[in-house]
This record gives sequence, structure tokens and C-alpha cells, in this order.
Amino acid sequence: MAAPIRAGPEAAPPPLPVPGGVKRSRQLLHMSVLSLSASPCGRYLAAGNNYGEIAVFSLSAALSAEAKEESKRPIGVFQAHPGPVYSLASSERLLLSAGDGEVKGWAWNELGKKGTRELWTRRPPCRTSLEVPEINSLQLNPRDNCVVLAGGDGAVRVLDMESGSFTHELRGHRDLVHCLALRDLPPHVLSGGEDGTVRLWDLRSGTQVQVIEVHKYEECSRPNHGKWIRCLATDSDWMVCGGGPALTLWHLRSVTPTTVFPLPPRQHHALFHQDLVLAGGPGPALHQLQLSGELRGRVPCTPPALRCLCLSPRPPEHQVLTVAGNSPKIDVFTNLGYRAFSLCFT
Amino acid sequence: MSSESSKKRKPKVIRTDGAAPEGKRGKGDGDQDLRYYSEECEVDLRDPIKDYELYRETCQELQRLMAEIQELKSRGIKDNAAEIDERRVQSCVHFMTLKKLNRLAHIRLKKGRDQTHEAKQKVDAYHLQLQNLLYEVMHLQKEITKCLEFKSKHEEIELVSLEEFYQEAPPEISRPAITLSEPHQQTLARLDWELEQRKRLAEKYKECLTSKEKILKEIEVKKEYLSSLQPRLNSIMQASLPVQEYLFMPFDQAHKQYETARHLPPPLYVLFVQASAYGQACDKKLVVAIEGNVEEAKALYKPPEDSQDDESDSDAEEEQTTKRRRPTLGVQLDDKRKEMLKRHPLSVTVDLKCKDDNVLHLTFYYLMNLNVMTVKAKVTTAVEMTTAISAGDLLSPDSLLNCLYPGDHGRKTPNPANQFQFDKVGILTLSDYVTELGHPYVWVQKLGGLHFPKDQPQHTVTADNTLSASHMELTVKLLRSRLQSRLALHKQFASLEHGVVPVSSECQHLFPTKIVSRLVKWTAIPYEDYAELPYTKDVIEAGLAEDTHLYYMALIERGTAKLQAAVVLNPGYSTLPPIFSLCLNWKGERTGSNDDNIRAMESEVNVNYKELWGPKPGHQLLTNQLQRLCMVLDVYLETEPHDTSVEGPKEFPQEKMCLRLVRGPLRLKPFKFNYPQGFFSHR
Repeated sequence: MAAPIRAGPEAAPPPLPVPGGVKRSRQLLHMSVLSLSASPCGRYLAAGNNYGEIAVFSLSAALSAEAKEESKRPIGVFQAHPGPVYSLASSERLLLSAGDGEVKGWAWNELGKKGTRELWTRRPPCRTSLEVPEINSLQLNPRDNCVVLAGGDGAVRVLDMESGSFTHELRGHRDLVHCLALRDLPPHVLSGGEDGTVRLWDLRSGTQVQVIEVHKYEECSRPNHGKWIRCLATDSDWMVCGGGPALTLWHLRSVTPTTVFPLPPRQHHALFHQDLVLAGGPGPALHQLQLSGELRGRVPCTPPALRCLCLSPRPPEHQVLTVAGNSPKIDVFTNLGYRAFSLCFT
Repeated sequence: MSSESSKKRKPKVIRTDGAAPEGKRGKGDGDQDLRYYSEECEVDLRDPIKDYELYRETCQELQRLMAEIQELKSRGIKDNAAEIDERRVQSCVHFMTLKKLNRLAHIRLKKGRDQTHEAKQKVDAYHLQLQNLLYEVMHLQKEITKCLEFKSKHEEIELVSLEEFYQEAPPEISRPAITLSEPHQQTLARLDWELEQRKRLAEKYKECLTSKEKILKEIEVKKEYLSSLQPRLNSIMQASLPVQEYLFMPFDQAHKQYETARHLPPPLYVLFVQASAYGQACDKKLVVAIEGNVEEAKALYKPPEDSQDDESDSDAEEEQTTKRRRPTLGVQLDDKRKEMLKRHPLSVTVDLKCKDDNVLHLTFYYLMNLNVMTVKAKVTTAVEMTTAISAGDLLSPDSLLNCLYPGDHGRKTPNPANQFQFDKVGILTLSDYVTELGHPYVWVQKLGGLHFPKDQPQHTVTADNTLSASHMELTVKLLRSRLQSRLALHKQFASLEHGVVPVSSECQHLFPTKIVSRLVKWTAIPYEDYAELPYTKDVIEAGLAEDTHLYYMALIERGTAKLQAAVVLNPGYSTLPPIFSLCLNWKGERTGSNDDNIRAMESEVNVNYKELWGPKPGHQLLTNQLQRLCMVLDVYLETEPHDTSVEGPKEFPQEKMCLRLVRGPLRLKPFKFNYPQGFFSHR
């Protein structure tokens, strides 16, 4: 307190009651958690925000009976990318994070310790230096041990995890690719983009198999909200996609929209869970939908808009759902009926 | 002898029997002596012992006669009849005698009784007399003791001893001839002497009084003379002032100030000393002075401390009574409150001058009964400022010094002991009185060397010089930067109200040359209005908007689009940047909660404020933020995709150069301006 202060903004401002100072309090006010990924063991959860930070939470501590307030705070926060962390994915050993023009691999067993550094960084080739395209989504393909990247320049790239090289560059989207999904049989990758199409790719040949122009189907088209496809999920022959168009269940073999879900447009994330579809978007609520199109439940959440959902295994044979959005808080559901508690960035 | 007496009596008895006794008595008293036969007189004459002998003999004779009769009868009747008769007669005579004896015995008995009775009455009378006499004796004895116990008044008077009396008293009073022998006369003479002496002393006392009066009058006269001397001396001093000034020797003024400083209470004294020391050493533009009534301050220190204790005791007592009768004693309670909130008659003023001749006047007061210091602030500007309506609160004494240090609102008393004092007189908080008394900021206490630790309230808080010294420099600098930032804001507000966002040449590179959106309104709003806005909820929940902050509403327009911006101005501006909450009215209401791009616009001014600070000391932050809002509104409107369902050209044709329109999962627009190329990119 007694230290003299130099007039001007660069002078050390007097201590604030907010930990982290003025800047951090403002960041928390405008923070969005864009990506979530749970460790394969289900004990840890990584969350990436729009300031390029990844926070690691201990789910097992927060879920235990003697959980305190501190156990709902991150055990470690580190700056992963200069820009936002758009996507996270977990393999057996690694946490992959996607930022502006780069993918980083982190070792799960070292996360949360101080001074953690990435194991490797891969940058997809880009044409201009002025604008580095972001990577909007990551999809791990364990069968081929590769990871699929949704690029901001409209390209879908395949990164071979063993060699660390980019094996395929799948071009077709006319604008940025938002989301990816994997289909087991036949082994296809699905990608949805700003141009309003969902494209199916054969990874082995690296060719485009099919194009679905979602916005051209009147049932789900919502022209005043745009045609972009933001969320995509598959389950054998079924696909759920949404964004500007309404969230719709598709039958892939016949390429027909079977159910249009009664939800507001601009849904951000959808998941198949048992025989339900979970969806989150604008509005502080998680929607549970039956495949027939009925709204099964609407569970209130803390973030005013939801960005990502993450299902993680919780031994024994339980699953934990984590939900994040435009808030530094991450809601945890042990039961689909209600929010159990919230994890929080600090 | 018995035979004789029996013979004599015989005829009498017969006679009595023969004649009726009543007849005899009825014959009158005249011949009583002769005729009246009185057995009573006989009784006196006869000897009772002889009577007893006679009785015995008679009885024996009777027994004998009876026995003879029986014997005769048993022998046979015929022969002895005469004898028996004779004997019968004899026995009759004897019976008569017995009867007579019986009567006599009765009379005697009666006589005896009468005599006893008489004697008894006599004895009673004597007894009564004896008791009367005894009582009288007792009474007299009491009277005697009373008399013996009587004390004369003269015994209480202390007299000179005998020897002294005979030595000193004149002989006409002492009269030794008589008094030596007679103690009574001696005592009288001594008393006379005492009286004489006392009279003399009384006369002496009167004389002394008159002389005292005289001396007092003399003193009065001398005092008057002295007081007439004072103004003359003053006028001489006054006359010497120009000389001192001419010679640049402000001895007198400094001397005067130090003289009055002696009467300051300890905290104000510490402040005065430290502030003037700091002013002399580091800051020539800091002027310290003392104001107020010195005489009153002097008067305060006259009563010794114990009288103050008494006062507080009586306070407590009165307090109890007022508690019982609160409603009727409202006025009294009011006086109590006033007394409690009384400030010291002296105050210290500190004038802080800035480079451009704007002055911040601070007046420090000391609340004696609460042991806290308060401050009132006032600003005088060098040039007359154009008055902006929205700038009303900027320089108001109430908010000027708010939160000089974070969280220091100056509304609550920093002395924890005060709460108990308030409870006594029914003051809820000090904040109701703050406008009148000044604000008790924590830094003010520190400047006065008062420190109130939160966890362990000390008994006596004393003014500490080192504490004051350690806070002086920082506080003065903060005060100065606060004044400058407020003045800068004041100036900016004046032009903002006219819809002009002033951007200085140093900050031109932050914005493109062409910005179409215009600020059309800038108004101050109260906190309540701010809190009611639906899109400010997040800011309030994050604890970044308190009711002590300043609130404004800006309206930015372009065509049919209207952007409302609610602004929280922290008192710590510009180190603590303002927070904007946006609401765009264009094809529906768009806020940060339903449109990610509006949220991004908010964070563009709220989070990335560092590049907007501009040149030191960052007073252009607010205007730069507003200008950036205009810029990002342009970007937002121009990059909005054209709705194909509506006919006609786009309302806002894209004029800005953008690398990409949409980026990332949030589909954000390119809000970042790149200088000098002049294109927009994503952050």
C-alpha cells in the first residue's frame, strides 16, 4: 500500500477485491467456454475458453461426497493458444486442442501441473499469412489412429497421429467447416459447414461420397437465420444436424429428413444419448428430445447460451454430462433431470 | 361458781319465756335500761371460757339424767314415774341453759366478724395511703434527677483557660476578688470576657472586607489598562505585515499557524504537520491551512478531563431514561445525536493545485465524540466550464472522492466502536449524516494517523505520525489523478452531449477515417434505472456495478439501427475502465445474451480496453471506447447477411474491407481494425 504510484494507466492499479485484477474480472464477464473434453478415465475434465485457456477440473473430486467449493475450481489453468480454444478431443493418452491454425497435443497425465507444455504442435498448411484459418472442430478416429480437422478455410484435413503428417486435404466446402462426425459403417466422416451442406467423405480414398444441402429442404430450412450447419451427430444410419436450419433427424441411407425437432434455431451442439437426442443452443436450457420429435425435457442451466455438451464415462457404468456456454461456469449433470452443480473458471 | 351463775340465770330465762320479747321492745326506748334485757350486753360481761365450762357441765348433767331416766324406766315405770318427771324437769332446765349458750355463741360469732371487718377496712385505707406516698416520692426523685442533668448553653462555648483569663482580662471584668472564691461568678466573668473578645474580632473582619474591595477595584482598573493595550499592539503588528511581505519573511503567518495548530486535536495536528511537511519537501503546489474558531477550540480544552467523564456518566444515565420514554423525548434524543456528531471547531484545509490551475479544496474535520475524521471536497476550475447536464455528479463533493482506494465509499464509519455509540442514540448508520459532516473515508483516517484494525478493536486509538507519513504521498497522487480524470471527463461530457465524440490526434490510428454511426444521446441515469435494464444483469451479478458508481446511457444510431449502451463508470476511472452493456434495436432486440456478436462487441470495449487508453494518463479511454462502439456497430451492420426474403437493396452496403465475414464456431464478425492497412479482421 505504501509504495508510491506513478500517475497513468501503466502504474500498478490499487489492488482490487477481484482476484486477478481488473482485466480478469472483465474477461470472466465475457467468457465463453467453447469446448469440453473428459479424460478417458473420466476423472478429469478439460475446458477451453475464448481466451485460449484450458482449465483442468478434477471431476472425481467434485463428484465425491466430501466435495468442497475449492474442488469445483480448476486444478490448473494454462494458456494453450493465443486465440480461442475451438475444440478439444481426448485419446487414450493425449488431449488434443485446436486453436487458430494449430493443433496441440498434451499429455493427460501431466495436465494440471505447473509449467505444463504441449507435447507437439501441428500447423496445417495455409495459403496466406494474413489470415490464418481457425480449426473449428476435431474428430478422433481411433480405428485409423488419425484425427480429422474442420478448417476455417473450408478444408477438412486428416492428421495421422503416428507420423504426425497431414495425409488428406478434403476440399469441397465453399466456406468454413463448423463440425465433424464419424460414422462406423460405412466408415465415413461427416462435415457440416457455413455453406449449408453436410458432406460425407471416405477417409481411405479421400473422396467426397455425398452432399446433403440441408437448407434446400423446406421442412428444416429457416432462411432468416442462415443456412450454416453448426452441429452434427451420427448413430449408425441416423444423423442429427442443425444450425441456421432447424435441428433435424435424418435417415442417411435414404437421405430424408424424418423428424424436425421443435426447438428454436441456432442450436450449437447435439448428441445421441441412449435413445434420446440432447441439444443445447441459445437460451439457458438443455433440451432432451425423443427421436419421434417429442420434447422429453427442458433442464435449466447456468450459461445463458449453451456451446458444447460432453458425455464422459464415470466408473462404474455411470455417465456424467457436462454443459458449457457463454459463462465461466460449466454445469455438471449426474442425472439428466437436474443440474447437480457448476464448475467455474477463476 | 357455776352453780351460782346457773341459779342466777334461771329466773331470767323463765321470764323471757313468759313474756313476749316483742312486746317488751315495743314499749319504747325510754325504759330500755330497765326493761330491755339484752343478751348482747350480757355477752360482754360473760367470760366465754366460763360459758364453755358451763356447757360441758350441762352436757354431763344431761347425760347423767338421761342415763338415770333410762335406768329408772328399765326398772319399771310405775314406781319411778315421779322420779322420772323430776329428772325430766331437770333436763329441761339444762336444755334451756344449752339454748342460751347457743345464742350467746352466735352473738359472739357475729360480734367477732364485725370486728374483723372493721379492722380490715382500716388496714386497706392505710395501704392506699402508703402507695400514694410512694408514688409522690418517686416523682420527686425524677424531678431531682432532671434538675441535676440540666446543661447550660455556656458549657458549649469554648473559653480561654483560667490562667489566660486572669492574665489577659482587665480586672473590672475578671474581678478576682469575688470570682476566685465563687465559681459561679467566675464563669460569668469568663463569659463576659469571651463576648468582649468576639466583638473585637467582628470589627476586624469588617475592616478586612473593605480593604479587599479596594484591592479588587485596583485590579480591575489595571486589567482595563492591559486590554486597551492589546488592540494597540495588534495594530502595530498589522502595520508591520507589509514590511514582512516586502522582505519575503512570512514569519508572522507561519508563527500564527503554528500557534493555532497547537489547539488542533491530535489527528488533525498529525495531518497538518504531515501535509505541510510533504508540501514543503515534495509538492510546492500543496497548501495547508487551518480554519475555524480558535477561541472555541481553546474553550474546549479548559475543562479538565474528569468533568468530561462526569458528562459521559450523566449521558449514560439520561440515556437510560430516554430509552424508557423515547417517544416523548424525541427532541432530547436529537440533541444527543447532535452532540455525538459534533465536530471540532478547527478544521484543516488542504488545497491541491494542478498544472492548469484547477484546485481541489479539501477540508478535514474531526468528530470529537466518534474519534473519526471526515473530509469535504470542492473543486474550483481555472476557466469557467461549460456545464454538461450529465456531468453533474462528476465534481459533486459527494462522489468526487468516492473509492479513491478500492471499496472505500466513505459511508460507514471506520471506527468499529462507533456502532455502539450510535445504538445508544438511535442512529442507524452514519451515511444519513455524511453530506452534512463530510465523508469518513479510510484514507482520511490514515492521513490523520488513525488506524482501526478490523479484528481487534483497540481501546484508545491514538494519532500516529508514521502511518500518516506512509500514506501521504500515494494519497496526494491519487487525489490529483482523480481530479484530473474527473476534469477531463467533465470536458468530454460537454461534447458528448452534443453528439460529438472527441478523438485526439494521438488516437486517430485506432479508427478508420469513415465511421457512419453517430452518437446521438449521452445522459446520466440513476443506478435504479440501470439495474432495471434487462441486459445489465450479468454486470450486476458479477459485482461490477455498485450503487456508488456513476451510470450513463449512450445512444448510437445508424439508419434504422439504434444501439443503446448502458455505461458503468467506476469512480476509479481511468485505471478502472468503464463497462458497457449493449442492446441493439434493429430487426428485433439483440443483446449479449441472444447474439454472440453483440457480446463480442461488448468485450471489444470492455475486455480489450488496453489499446484504447491512448496517451498517458489515459483520460481519453471513455471517448475512445465510444468511438470504437460506433466503429463496431458499422461492422456489425455492414456484415449482416442480406435477408433474401426482403426486397430492395441492403440497408447498409458493405464499405469496410474485411478478410472474412464469419469466423469460428461463434460465427463472429471481424471487429478488429488494422492500421495502417485499414482492413478489418478477427481478433
